Amino acid sequence: MARRNLSRHRLRSALACLGICIGVLAIASLGIFGNVLALSADDAIGDIGNQIVITPNADEGVEELTARDVGAIERVAGDAGVAPLKTDGAQLSRGSESTFATVYGIDRPGEVYVAAEGRLPDRHRQGAILGADVAETLDADAGSVVTVEGVDLRVVAVLEPTEGFTPAAPDGAVLLPESAFSDAGYDQVIVEADSGAEATLIAEAVRETVNAREDRVDVFELTAVVEDVEDFFGLLSGFLLGLGAISLVVAGVSILNVMLMSTIERRTEIGVLRAVGVRKREVMATLLVEAGLLGVVGGLAGVVLTGLLVAGLTLFSPVEPGVVLDPTNALYLVGAFAFGVLISVVSGLYPAWKAASVPPVEALRE
Amino acid sequence: MASAELVGVTKRYDGGGEVVTALSDVDFAIEPGEFVAVMGPSGSGKSTMLNVLGLLDDPTEGARYLDGTDVTRLEDRGRTLARKEFVGFVFQEFHLIPTLTAVENVALPTMFDSGDDGRAAALLSRFGLGDRLTHRPSELSGGQKQRVAIARALVNEPTLVLADEPTGNLDTETGERILDELRAICAEDVAVVAVTHDPDLEAYADRVVRIEDGVLA
Repeated sequence: MARRNLSRHRLRSALACLGICIGVLAIASLGIFGNVLALSADDAIGDIGNQIVITPNADEGVEELTARDVGAIERVAGDAGVAPLKTDGAQLSRGSESTFATVYGIDRPGEVYVAAEGRLPDRHRQGAILGADVAETLDADAGSVVTVEGVDLRVVAVLEPTEGFTPAAPDGAVLLPESAFSDAGYDQVIVEADSGAEATLIAEAVRETVNAREDRVDVFELTAVVEDVEDFFGLLSGFLLGLGAISLVVAGVSILNVMLMSTIERRTEIGVLRAVGVRKREVMATLLVEAGLLGVVGGLAGVVLTGLLVAGLTLFSPVEPGVVLDPTNALYLVGAFAFGVLISVVSGLYPAWKAASVPPVEALRE
Repeated sequence: MASAELVGVTKRYDGGGEVVTALSDVDFAIEPGEFVAVMGPSGSGKSTMLNVLGLLDDPTEGARYLDGTDVTRLEDRGRTLARKEFVGFVFQEFHLIPTLTAVENVALPTMFDSGDDGRAAALLSRFGLGDRLTHRPSELSGGQKQRVAIARALVNEPTLVLADEPTGNLDTETGERILDELRAICAEDVAVVAVTHDPDLEAYADRVVRIEDGVLA
């Protein structure tokens, strides 16, 4: 019955559907775009938020971190990976190729790095581990021999290229055992926590213990920056969703208008329904089903259009498909659809109540 | 026991600043199977009497009974249920729903109840419209529409059928057929009150009641 009532004024119903369709399209696509932006940014930032970098405080005359400092950091870091680094620069060559690279002295590279080829030793005793860019420049693989400052070393592993930005970027570096360095102290300690919150806690603990008596170290953490970035994208998403929601509310008003017009036109019919014993809430239910039907049809159309739009975005833009196919995007689709139907039903509420409340004797008099 | 009864019913409207008395101390009763014609000029209060009888309107004073039950003061919800239980309406303008087929129009009062017992189709067949079940009102003639309306008035097995100018929109010959049908339903102990100023109706009624200025003669 609801469907037939709507088909009485096909154009009017279609326009109301179109309104909801556009509203759902707006809210779903803007929501998904915001989400894709946030996810892409997340990808680019990588694990930066989980890392803290501890360096000696040169202002206080501290030139290097001692084994005691490292021990103290390890105690407060708990389960988080701790990698003390010695840093230098060196000339690398292999055959005719040569390059200048940062040299890190590291005992346990597995704590913070991942190998693309070869295997990272638990304890780095001999040989060299190449960063991705260095390996490419020298055209070296795991097993190749490279010359570091005149000494021939076998390459035990090549690191994965790092996505985004990390404090101690290994792409242009070569990792050597600590024994390759003459001095005993460390230039920096990288701590890799499981989450940004944990990183913040560890950074705080390091400041309290290692810096208890004098400011021996600088603690550099990016969690706060990352949180700011995430807050920004949250705000952006909210703003985009708000824009979409406004258009959906406008669509709701058009449903209100359509339902109001149609109930005024059908005043006598509704009076007849009431006169022959159809209850008020049954009349309301019928009218709400009409409004809901407009919402469902418009909403489905909006969801389909959003799907096409997102598919287009994936095909014609450099956005990674993985980010677009993220399940949270489906949530925006479902949410927008549900919101569209909800808005329609809510918009139908007042006209339905109004129509059902007219005393039948008045409705029939006209 | 009377199918419907009005005792000392007065109905006053607030008609734009001045109070209009549409019914004044009306006593009326109708027995099962009786066909009563209520006749009177326009504005005499006969439609108001029908509305009060059919629980579409409440009396200002007096009491109202349907099938022996006091239904004078009921909330909207109670009135709706009582209408569905006791009353069938036939209107001058037929008031069929244009989007529904004949059989759906007949089933309208019971539309929200579960199950279709085939009563609507059976009623239409009885009124000679067995081959018009799925026709829309726009595809039916005036007489056919009024027969659909009568079938609708009977679908809830009422004790009282109220007809407001049932022949008003029909030619004489079709009107007579409709009156025959109304006469026929009285045989099932259904009481019929028809409001009219069609003098032909007198011949079909068991009793004629005249009303003028809200007073029964």
